[in-house]
Amino acid sequence: MSPLRLVWKNIAGSAFRSWAVFLCALVVGGLLFSTVLLVRGAEDSLRLVQQRLGADVVVVPEGTGDRVETALLMGQPTKVWMPRQNLDRIGGVAGVAIASPQLYLASLANAPCCTAEMFVMAFDPQTDFTVTPWLNRHLGHNLGLAEAIGGSDVFVPYGEDKIRIYGSEIDLVGSLERTGTGLDTALFLTFDTAYAVADGSYTKAVRPLEIPPDSISAVLVQVEPNVDPRVVALQIAHDVPGVTAIPGSGLFQAFHTQAGLLSRIMAALLGTVSLLSLLLVGLTFSMAVNERRQEIGVLRALGATRRAVLHSLLVEALMLALGGGATGVLLAALVLYLFRNLIVASLMMPFRIPSVPSLLALAAGGLAVALADVALAVLLPALRASNLDPATAMRE
Amino acid sequence: MIKIEAATKTYALGRGVEIAATRDVDLEVARGEFLVITGRSGAGKTTLLNLISGLTRPTSGRVLWNGMDLWALDDAHRSALRNRQLGFVFQFPSLLPSFTVLENVVLPTAFGSNRRDPNVPGQAAALLQRVGMAGRRNAYPRQLSAGQQQRVVIARALINCPEVLLADEPTGNLDAETEREIIELFGELQATGELTALMVTHAPHLVPQASRVVEMAGGVLRAGG
Amino acid sequence: MRALAILIVILAILIGVLPQFFNCQYDGKGLVLADGRQVPMKCYWTARASLAVAILLLALGLLLAFSQQQETRRALAFLGAIAGILVILLPTWLIGVCQHPGASCNLVMKPALILMGILVVVASVAGLVLSSRRPEPTA
Repeated sequence: MSPLRLVWKNIAGSAFRSWAVFLCALVVGGLLFSTVLLVRGAEDSLRLVQQRLGADVVVVPEGTGDRVETALLMGQPTKVWMPRQNLDRIGGVAGVAIASPQLYLASLANAPCCTAEMFVMAFDPQTDFTVTPWLNRHLGHNLGLAEAIGGSDVFVPYGEDKIRIYGSEIDLVGSLERTGTGLDTALFLTFDTAYAVADGSYTKAVRPLEIPPDSISAVLVQVEPNVDPRVVALQIAHDVPGVTAIPGSGLFQAFHTQAGLLSRIMAALLGTVSLLSLLLVGLTFSMAVNERRQEIGVLRALGATRRAVLHSLLVEALMLALGGGATGVLLAALVLYLFRNLIVASLMMPFRIPSVPSLLALAAGGLAVALADVALAVLLPALRASNLDPATAMRE
Repeated sequence: MIKIEAATKTYALGRGVEIAATRDVDLEVARGEFLVITGRSGAGKTTLLNLISGLTRPTSGRVLWNGMDLWALDDAHRSALRNRQLGFVFQFPSLLPSFTVLENVVLPTAFGSNRRDPNVPGQAAALLQRVGMAGRRNAYPRQLSAGQQQRVVIARALINCPEVLLADEPTGNLDAETEREIIELFGELQATGELTALMVTHAPHLVPQASRVVEMAGGVLRAGG
Repeated sequence: MRALAILIVILAILIGVLPQFFNCQYDGKGLVLADGRQVPMKCYWTARASLAVAILLLALGLLLAFSQQQETRRALAFLGAIAGILVILLPTWLIGVCQHPGASCNLVMKPALILMGILVVVASVAGLVLSSRRPEPTA
């Protein structure tokens, strides 16, 4: 008869108490894991998008910063225009190493069933530094005419081999990694392809694709080494009228703030749940210790030391906490993974499952908090039980 | 073997009121003796057993085991002494309800150095045979009668081959016939001469094998009874 | 065991009901053929098939709740696990759902069916383990 078997028998012997501790640990562990994962996932997503854009400064028409950010993060297409000549002015600002123009377009989605719009981003292959590095790495060449790459959620409909936008057939030659943002539903093609599609749309499409002449939507800027992007942004705003210049670090500030707010709300919720759980487990264990007074007295009479009684109660609680916490974390991970797209769509916030090492660290954290919560709750009742005078305990 | 010197045990009832369960009790128990302790309810009989076994600390006085002061030991040593040298039979149902009969019998070994001894299950089975419960080894306490449970408790008390068996009203909840059977079993076990037994009972006439009978009255020990 | 059976019954109801409200047909979207007719898409048929499996699972759960024989419980639990696997396979491999990532079948129906299928399998395996344990000796 091992002490562990004794513990296991005690767990099995009281369903209510065991389930109460198990479920409290499940809720605490799962809630911590999911709250931190949500916030971390949002931050990871934002970081990835900023990296993907690779821009030190993003220049957009004045007052359209928020719309452009929403387009990039939530995939809601937007049409913003500024004169093409801004490109030369921006390129001439001191500290600017590369200035690459982009066109932001909207297309009817490519499946016959669905009428949602798709975000189309046209880039200049000569100056682009956003998509081109990926193309060189994965395809070995830049995009040709009537070729495009898509975000991870862009697909060629069943039974077809090309994507159709505005009546023109486009070859989908690659898919980018998932970012958990609107870029996952975006299509990337060259300026030449975009103009070709626009020209063809007047005869082939239900409605034409109109690109104002000599217009661009945005300019992505890379600054020279050791130059502060914020200084360059200020200079661009000064030198080029009618534009907003956003330093890369300032991108998606609203979403960062939103993630921060979500983080605070979740922390408050977690704190409340942990406290309630602590009280419930503490109360349940106190009641259990009271019920088992005589039993504890008998065990002491049979030779169990005070330490053995304390140890047995703590191990019992921690085994339940470990089981409950692990189950909670697993359930939370499963739910967040399966419903990740729904989270993005309903919270209007980017979200991406972090890497496996991050996930494991978060899981360990969730489990640790569940264990600590339960350990704290049962410590006092367990100490009281172990210090019971055996003779008094056995007296009814 | 066991010596109690002027042991007094008082309990505080609050508001400065104290009650003395035992007063200046002196007692010596020799090896192999079968001592019966009688007395009315509340006379201090159970407290005396608790003092002897170290389950409660005397307010004043000493409890000596083979010349060693029980309360000079730390909790670990005192518990080890209870585990290896004492066997308990309580009046109330003391089997753990989630454990089978066999598991209850081997329970004391969970706290001793013989926890991994492969002979323990065999010893337990032999003890169950001896108390007439061999066929119920996988039953749970709730499936046994009070008399059957008490037989299992006796087997549990003997699993570590103790030197001393302490029984506090072991037949208090039993009918007359079962009471006789249990007392007979005690007598058989004690008759081997290897066991020292102390039994609290309200009916000393049922224990013809007793070598000595003492009486507790108002916390004071009197010889005879 | 009864608690597990009740869980399976609840999951069966969810498996049958939820897909009926989260498919493209319910959202008013269908596949338009060349002759102009609109026909339901894959997710609609997945929802129909889920209903069928749900009815089976419901019966299974109810039988499990009231059955006393260990062998019967074992068989029912085994069948429950198979049904759970079918629930997972329906939206992923057997029939599937729409390609469009923003469609409700993709956002809600598919992940929900996978989750509930996993829970059914776990509950059934737990039932299998419990019904394989040695029963308590009778008094």
